[in-house]
Amino acid sequence: MAAMTMTIEPVSAFSSLDVLVAMDEGLFAAEGLDLRMASREARDIRSTTEGTLTSPVTNQGRLQERGEATMFQG
Amino acid sequence: MIVCAALVVPPTSDVYVPQELAYKPVGLDYGNGTAYAGLQMLEGAVPREAIVTKAAVTHPGERFAGLMRGEFAATVLQEPWITVAEKAGCRLISTTFFHGTWVAGPDLEPKLYAAFLRGVTHAVRRINADKRPYVRYFKEGWAAVDPDVQALTPDDFNLGRIVLREPTPIPEDEARWAWEWMASWGVLQGRFDAATQINRKVEREAHELAAATLVS
Repeated sequence: MAAMTMTIEPVSAFSSLDVLVAMDEGLFAAEGLDLRMASREARDIRSTTEGTLTSPVTNQGRLQERGEATMFQG
Repeated sequence: MIVCAALVVPPTSDVYVPQELAYKPVGLDYGNGTAYAGLQMLEGAVPREAIVTKAAVTHPGERFAGLMRGEFAATVLQEPWITVAEKAGCRLISTTFFHGTWVAGPDLEPKLYAAFLRGVTHAVRRINADKRPYVRYFKEGWAAVDPDVQALTPDDFNLGRIVLREPTPIPEDEARWAWEWMASWGVLQGRFDAATQINRKVEREAHELAAATLVS
């Protein structure tokens, strides 16, 4: 049984295929890590069209800011 | 993982090289890596004052749909929508690659990060040994409800655009260059401070722990 737990923000294959495969194929578990992926709630999702080039709106990092995820992909 | 980003124009476009995007609107999802990759591809081709961008949504499938509706002259896509766009007759006029970098708070424990690094490293080795079976992951998540993506077969994917590398510490030069470039666009303020941006102690300890137990 995994001894350590960590939660990350949601990821997609284009940037995190390795993480998705490691989760599915038990490669984190084999290293003693129970890796979990958080889900974003509606309040966490804002459209990038609300932002500008110099003042962008991004959904990345919001769960980490609230302490609901340890890491996110920037 | 290394992310592939492609600057894409619709099938009917008269744009064949990035220079021809001067003064034409390019749809970018501001704040995301693909947007900055797009800016860099454009900046390598035209003067900064000739770059015209337009806010576009984060969802690459919806950006692709916007491109096909003529909302902008070009946009930046990542997989699987690069492949979808090619199948639809779109042209890639530039491609680039960038790091997907993990960000953590100051309380990340090195042993936790080391276990994460080891898991990722094993996955990278496994995928690189035979990428084709793993392209099915590009049809999941956001793509699961997109009929154009679901119509793709594994053989449709260009494996040269699916690039995985074992994790390494963040190169300070690259981090500084990225910061200074973003600051030049007004996205970041202030000077780059490596000690503030990268926790070298946690990074070093985690990579040392990971390397100590990894079989090469």
